[in-house]
Amino acid sequence: MKKPTSKKPSARAVLARLFGPSAKGIAIEKSVVTGYATVGGAKVCVIGTCDGTYIDNEAALRLAAHVIQCIDRQPKTPIVMLVDSAGQEPNRVAEMLGLASYFGHLLSCLELARRKGHTLITVATGQAVGGAFLCYGMFADRIYALASASVGLMPISAMSAVTKIPASVLQKLSKTMPSLEFGAEPFALLGGVEEVWSATDDVQAKLAQAIATSTPEDNRAELGKKRGGRKLALDIRKKVLAESAR
Amino acid sequence: MEKFTKAFPSKPLPSKTAKPWALAGVVGSGNLEVMLERGGKPSDAMECHVETSIPGYKASWLAALADFAHHYPAGGAKVTIHDQGAPPVLVNLRLRQAYDHLTKGDK
Amino acid sequence: MSGALFHEQTARQRIAALADAGSFVELLPPPERITSPYLAQLGIPVSFDDGLVIGHAKIGGKKIYLAAQVGQFVGGAVGEIHGAKLTGLFKAAARDKLPCVLIIESGGVRLHEGSAGEIAIAETMRAIFECRALKVPTIAVIATDIGAYGGIGILSTCCDFRIMTEHGRLGISGPIVIEKWMGKKAYDSANRALVWKTSGGKTKYLLGDADALVHDTSEAVRDGIAKLLAKSSAVSLASVKARQKDLEKRLKRFGATEDPDAVWKSMGVRNIEAASLASGPEFAALAKRGK
Repeated sequence: MKKPTSKKPSARAVLARLFGPSAKGIAIEKSVVTGYATVGGAKVCVIGTCDGTYIDNEAALRLAAHVIQCIDRQPKTPIVMLVDSAGQEPNRVAEMLGLASYFGHLLSCLELARRKGHTLITVATGQAVGGAFLCYGMFADRIYALASASVGLMPISAMSAVTKIPASVLQKLSKTMPSLEFGAEPFALLGGVEEVWSATDDVQAKLAQAIATSTPEDNRAELGKKRGGRKLALDIRKKVLAESAR
Repeated sequence: MEKFTKAFPSKPLPSKTAKPWALAGVVGSGNLEVMLERGGKPSDAMECHVETSIPGYKASWLAALADFAHHYPAGGAKVTIHDQGAPPVLVNLRLRQAYDHLTKGDK
Repeated sequence: MSGALFHEQTARQRIAALADAGSFVELLPPPERITSPYLAQLGIPVSFDDGLVIGHAKIGGKKIYLAAQVGQFVGGAVGEIHGAKLTGLFKAAARDKLPCVLIIESGGVRLHEGSAGEIAIAETMRAIFECRALKVPTIAVIATDIGAYGGIGILSTCCDFRIMTEHGRLGISGPIVIEKWMGKKAYDSANRALVWKTSGGKTKYLLGDADALVHDTSEAVRDGIAKLLAKSSAVSLASVKARQKDLEKRLKRFGATEDPDAVWKSMGVRNIEAASLASGPEFAALAKRGK
């Protein structure tokens, strides 16, 4: 029997699509992506995951090391973060070692980069779920997603399995509550993704544009309200700020 | 989920209470939260709003609330309850705790 | 509430016990009735505070922002409203340059509200780092078995400091999830000693992920907070480089260690049994003295 051919493009194909020939400057080792490339003729630092890998203590350290190196040696170079990870693998030793602290360290490194003038752009290229998305990708200044990416907390089937709420009920509710729906488009409605890039988009031009227009202000709550996917968050935040100023 | 609203005759609340509102309990399995506020209507009745995750016990709820309104001067109080399957004895305790917090303060 | 065990208290009791008498002012208090439309649609009971009590208070006369998660309510999990309150509070702390203390009791994102809670946690992380850039202290207290897990586990590591008790647990994946994944032989979630040695306050303190290990009383937690209110831990190139080395060393040293007792021993605890029984600062002293 013929092997079913995967529709999913290889990690190298994704890098080539985003960075053209300059993708050769990016290394992939154990599904962790680090290196430098060019976008719109300018140098960028690249970190990320591919192949839907699990991100563990070691992967977090390797990503952090590359961010530190970039801050040290390539001041103000934009950092592009690629996300294709199934999350953290539930593991006792990883937990004992303090996986959360490894993720917190990676976030601290990215925060330092932001403060030192590096623009942070995320492109969700494959799986961008749960902890794997929270531990670096969602920490960018601006977040983009390929239309083919699986973005969100978890698919409705998984949500149903954990909460014991029938999938049909969640499915029906997701029509009016995009937060429950899984995918790049509903995530964008919540403001979690700035823009979804389609298969026919010139993503190299899009990425250059993203870097040029990015600001360090977190605009997700505003976007979520404007797009109607997250109607409450911004107003509640404002209410806290108003009541506490009295 | 079952929801209902009803007012029960009660002597008026003391004209001064320690606080404008008070809360007792938490929403969790076998527990409930009860909020008592001033400003319920009318002033000679305890206005009650109940939401419970266990349907079918409306009669017991009404009896418990009527009993409380009868024994405590709670006219003009608004009672709002979020219940997740609390036993009747706990309902009664939370009502009294919230009432004490409202009238006497937290201490 | 003098002498009450901190882990047995409710979120509101904890706040009352930590704050100077009468100093707590709640923001978005219960009478505002800001409750989850997601839970309402699913027929799940809502709560007036959506599982998070926030406000400002004084501790030892010093004004702070203070929040406490309600672990009994949907596991203290973060939905859209809960998360927005949290983000708003840290933003208020940054604006007013006042310390922000979060009493954590949460399994992470509230699944019933999908991705909205996940984004809220990311937004709160950004707000925490806003505080840190301004040298505004951010302190997480983790003192119960519900602990800090999932996205909230990660979020807690973004704060300047973590105060834990021996009851507190910090991690990402909880023991039941790990047992399901690895099998009962590799990790028995019913083995409390093993679970706490994996994720509990004592181990986190030994490894340096908890900055203080205090007794399980509101007085001890309050003293722990008071000591840190004037401090902050800046994120600098030197600090992240040092942390990188520390975490690399930890991975090298213990990455293949199956036995948490070996970690304790290696971190200076000589008498495991005595250390298991010791609590809070006594445990810390035993480890330091290598007894």
